[in-house]
Amino acid sequence: MRVKVISRSADEFTRERSQDLQRVFRNYDPNLRSQEKSVEYVRALNAAKLDKIFARPFIGSMDGHIDAVSSMANNPNHLKGIFSGSMDGDIRLWDLATRRTVCQFPGHQGAVRGLTVSTDGRVLVSCGTDSTVRLWSVPFPSLMDFGTIHNNEAREPMTVNVWKSAFWAVDHQWNGDLFATAGAQVDIWNHNRSQPVNSFEWGKDTSISVRFNPGEPNILATSGSDRSITIFDLRLSSPARKIIMRTKTNSIAWNPMEPMNFTAANEDCNCYSYDARKLNEARCVHKDHVSAVMDIDYSPTGREFVTGSYDRTVRIFQYNGGHSREIYHTKRMQRVFCVKFSCDASYVISGSDDTNLRLWKAKASEQLGVLLPRERKKHEYLEAVRNRYKHLPEVKRIVRHRHLPKAIYKAASLRRIMADAERKKAERRRAHSAPGSMAQVPLRKRRIIQEVE
Amino acid sequence: MNKKRKGSSFGKSRRDKATKKRDWRGPRLPNAFQKELDRRDPDGGPSDDEEERDFNDVGDDVYEYEEAIPEEESKKNKRFDLVENYQYELPEDFKDENIASDEGEDAEDDGRHARMLQEITGLPSDAFAGSGKKKKDFIISEAYPESEYNPSRDILDGKGLISIQDLVESLHGKSGFSKLRKDLRRMESKAAPIITPLPQADQERVERKAAYEQSKKDITKWEPLVKKNREAPTLYFDEEMDLGFSTIGAIASEFEPRTDFEKKIASLVNHNEVVEAHKKDGARLLELNELSIEDMQDRQDRLAKMRSLLFRHEMKAKRIKKIKSKTYHRLLKKDRTKAADLAIQMDPEAAKDIAMKQEFKRAEERMTLKHKNSSRWAKRILERGIDAQDEGTRVAFAEQLSKHAELTRKMSSMNKSSSSDESSYEDDSDDVADGSDLDKTSKLLINAKEKTRKLLEEDEELPHSGVLSLPFMVRGLKKRKEAADEEANLALKEYDLSLKKLDGKSELGRCDMDVPSGRRVFGAPNKAVSETSKKVKSDSYYANSDSEDGGEEREDKVIEHEKDNHLLRSSDIDPNLLRQEFEINHDSVFKSFETNVEEPEPKIAYDVSFFASDSWKKMKKSSANNQIEVSHANNGKCSASVRSLENETMMEDDGGNSDADSGGEMVDGILSGGGKSGYELPSQSELIQRAFAGDDVEEDFEKDKAEVLNEENPEPEKPVLIPGWGQWTDIQKKKGLPSWMLEEHETAKKKREEALKKRKDAHLNNVIVSEKLDKKAERLHTKSLPYPYTSEEVFEQSIRMPIGPEFNPVSAVAALNRPEVVKRAGVIIKPIKYKDINTGGRDETHARRGQKQKKGKDRNMLVKKKTPKV
Repeated sequence: MRVKVISRSADEFTRERSQDLQRVFRNYDPNLRSQEKSVEYVRALNAAKLDKIFARPFIGSMDGHIDAVSSMANNPNHLKGIFSGSMDGDIRLWDLATRRTVCQFPGHQGAVRGLTVSTDGRVLVSCGTDSTVRLWSVPFPSLMDFGTIHNNEAREPMTVNVWKSAFWAVDHQWNGDLFATAGAQVDIWNHNRSQPVNSFEWGKDTSISVRFNPGEPNILATSGSDRSITIFDLRLSSPARKIIMRTKTNSIAWNPMEPMNFTAANEDCNCYSYDARKLNEARCVHKDHVSAVMDIDYSPTGREFVTGSYDRTVRIFQYNGGHSREIYHTKRMQRVFCVKFSCDASYVISGSDDTNLRLWKAKASEQLGVLLPRERKKHEYLEAVRNRYKHLPEVKRIVRHRHLPKAIYKAASLRRIMADAERKKAERRRAHSAPGSMAQVPLRKRRIIQEVE
Repeated sequence: MNKKRKGSSFGKSRRDKATKKRDWRGPRLPNAFQKELDRRDPDGGPSDDEEERDFNDVGDDVYEYEEAIPEEESKKNKRFDLVENYQYELPEDFKDENIASDEGEDAEDDGRHARMLQEITGLPSDAFAGSGKKKKDFIISEAYPESEYNPSRDILDGKGLISIQDLVESLHGKSGFSKLRKDLRRMESKAAPIITPLPQADQERVERKAAYEQSKKDITKWEPLVKKNREAPTLYFDEEMDLGFSTIGAIASEFEPRTDFEKKIASLVNHNEVVEAHKKDGARLLELNELSIEDMQDRQDRLAKMRSLLFRHEMKAKRIKKIKSKTYHRLLKKDRTKAADLAIQMDPEAAKDIAMKQEFKRAEERMTLKHKNSSRWAKRILERGIDAQDEGTRVAFAEQLSKHAELTRKMSSMNKSSSSDESSYEDDSDDVADGSDLDKTSKLLINAKEKTRKLLEEDEELPHSGVLSLPFMVRGLKKRKEAADEEANLALKEYDLSLKKLDGKSELGRCDMDVPSGRRVFGAPNKAVSETSKKVKSDSYYANSDSEDGGEEREDKVIEHEKDNHLLRSSDIDPNLLRQEFEINHDSVFKSFETNVEEPEPKIAYDVSFFASDSWKKMKKSSANNQIEVSHANNGKCSASVRSLENETMMEDDGGNSDADSGGEMVDGILSGGGKSGYELPSQSELIQRAFAGDDVEEDFEKDKAEVLNEENPEPEKPVLIPGWGQWTDIQKKKGLPSWMLEEHETAKKKREEALKKRKDAHLNNVIVSEKLDKKAERLHTKSLPYPYTSEEVFEQSIRMPIGPEFNPVSAVAALNRPEVVKRAGVIIKPIKYKDINTGGRDETHARRGQKQKKGKDRNMLVKKKTPKV
């Protein structure tokens, strides 16, 4: 007699542990599955809906300042620490995990305008309207005392450098010991000297923000009250190029993964991404805010950036996206003056007029905590499927839909109407003038007045 | 320093003057010059001091002071920079200047000038000293008018000009001569004028431009790296992980004891002796480890005592457990309950605890319905029939149910307001505990009856004072009372009725009296109190019917049955009618097919069909009689509903049985109805014709098509004359509808016709091609081609293959689903670092990278191709 059996090797079907999953063998012949695409479409739809359901971006607020938060700085060497300075001269170090103040740095007489931390995370530099630059040593957190909190102990500055005029911003060089302050002129300082090692002046206008290029540590960009953006090169110790736009640029951020690109947060509600080598036109215009953009910071991944605006919202943009991917707002959050991405690119911190710092998730529906590999795979799959079908109307509608505060919604629609009207007018003008006499200037160029050599 | 030098040179030149005036001897100067040159030390460079001394010593012998080598030239120390780079900028200028300065200045300038030359050219001082001499000579010669007695050297030579060559010739053979000559030659060949410097602003602009170009070039080096990152399907940021502490030792070294216990342990561990012992060979550790004999003894004793106590306790528990006496256990239980009662009375806390426990149990019961025949065990027993079980199981079953009843009833008693007295409920529960179910229900009913009677009997005394004593209030109260009485009477009747029913039932089914059949028994009395008489009736009716059916489970149909309760009853009453009906049905079915079946047991068959079709009965009962009549009248034409019934019966019956019921009666039916004598097998076409006799399919289709057309391209509405709309009424009366309305209607009509013509099924007579947009399909299409894609095919391609784990092998799924940015929370991401991409590309060969690149290629291919369809 002949008995037919299925032969299976014991190796393939024996589990190492009892918790291991049974191995499943599938026949992947597409002819056997005709519904796979519709199945995946439904999954994408569900994933989009679930994303909406789980979108809880707000983690918590950090209360403690008694005046508006004017500036913030990440500790590039320590994930949990963030520094914030307020308009009354108070500087605090916060612990993001517990959302409490670790210690304070009192001493500034006026508003703190700029904060920055050296790359090794040991020195905090602050400057303000009292014309002083103060260097502080940062308390070094050891592994063992993560539970204990320094109860608001006050620290003494290492050095206090008094200089000629009020400062508006400060930024530290990546992996160097120089830092730059912006004010009546741009000064380059060294940790060890009480006077700037170099200072630049191009025109007589105040520069209001300064950022070092993290990829190319010798290049920095400033924006000025004369609506200019200026690029400096420290190696040649001279300014390099300046562009003048129609409106003031409030802040600048370099893309940490693309050293040639930076994005400027402009007063006209837009952000402009520039290639430092081609300044005659912006690379991309990021629209969506309905009031002046006050601050901008790039994610360390270089793929997105966060902006804070005077319209009381925080938005997250793709580095090459014309519109925002995400908008964060709460009832209590007032004008946002400063925003930062955390160093692991998973959180966003905003500081606003209502004296609070707020901690947000960079991805609104992300599941926090440790993920099991299967969970992670599932999340990845859902994201991939959603991404794949994101162009289909239903999915798109769900993914793009945001519930906005009334004021912002109305302002946005008003702006749209105005833009349309402007466009229409231009079109008509063009139609009624001699062909070729009115060139069509794209928005990327329209807002730039001049490139100054 | 300049000043100082100036001062010194000034002093020297004064002395020069004196010597000149004193030792002037006429035109033999060239000789003297030669001589002087010869006399001089060819090495040159005596120090200043020496020279001073020389000068002092020699005194008047020397007719002219020789210029000292300046400090810079002496090279004694390195205080002065060596300047050699100005040769380009000094073509022949120094000659011109010389001449110019000679005119206005006296000889002291010459010394300075010579020094300047030395400074500039970096040549040894002799060269210039010589030339200076010559010049001096020449200058001095100017003091006398030039004549044949005093010819200038040039004139003697026969030339009118002095060239540099002339001057240099004199230095022939001196050290550094060749170099000097070379320099001169070069200067002559590349003579160019100096351009005036730019204004400050322009200069800065140029500088900035240069700086910008430079930095541009520097930044451009990043381009390939950035391009690679942008094109990569996935960026990884989780690879550089620095956990800080790599070993357990490193972590442990930072440990500091915080709690008391930790401190105690630490003090013992870090005790000096122990540490020392550790540091040595460790032999002393054993010594430290020593215990005293008394300590050991103590410990052993203590352990033994504990063990024996434990053993005794265990033995006791075992013995008690073994006792089988029920009385003992009952007493034990009683004791326990007594203690609990006492605790309730004495200790409010304990009472609270017990109450909580009770409440919890009740809540649990409510939540889980654990004792309500919902467990698997109970279900299985129900399935197999409670009769089939042995005594023990039945008892357990009943116990469970009673427990449920108790728990839930207690709850309701708790929830009831104070109006119902507790004692009666306790009685109830007692009854429930010991009596059988039927008894229970009857008791409940009796109780309820009594209560209502009591309520009826006791007269409500009307209030004599207050608001309620007002006449209209009194009237109202009376009315209300009457209504209540009526209700109570009704309820009484109901109780009587149900009691009777129960009695009847108990008589009928005495055998399964003790078997509690769950819901019915428990539910009925509770409902009876609150629900209407009708329901009670129906319930009781079903109790009866249940018993008739012999334990058939039909409880799930209760509600349906209630609804068409009377219909069923009618079916019960006259089954003959039904029988006829079925005969008709069956004969219509089998008329066209072969009916060559013998008749086995017609009765059974009938029964089966009866039960099977009772769902139909429920629905169609209302018209059943009519149908039967109709079918009696014309057997050939069955209405659609009858046909459907046939099918149903066909489906539900076992084929054999339904076939089998073609008994003698049936044959009779056929004979009487159809009156067919010789039966022939009809042909296929005949069959079809007969099947569709009476319906015109083509016409129907045309109608359908017109409907569809109308639906998809609706006909325009006819314009209606509304008086006063569009025109004045008098004009309307005269002219009728306004012309524009008619026009509009006409155009709409035309449009519709055109649209109809354009339809795909315009020329296909037998086809309807719907052009209605499917909304469901619409959702799967994009309105336009999405941004990065350039063609539909590419887009369609990009979403063609599924990416899920069900449709792809494990090895491919991870790569297909990988997100664009892979990062890990808590890992700090550093900014980009420069690395040469050509060298970097080669060492990226580990598996993941390989996959990634492969995938990247695929993506690129896909991007080239693309689609708006899913």
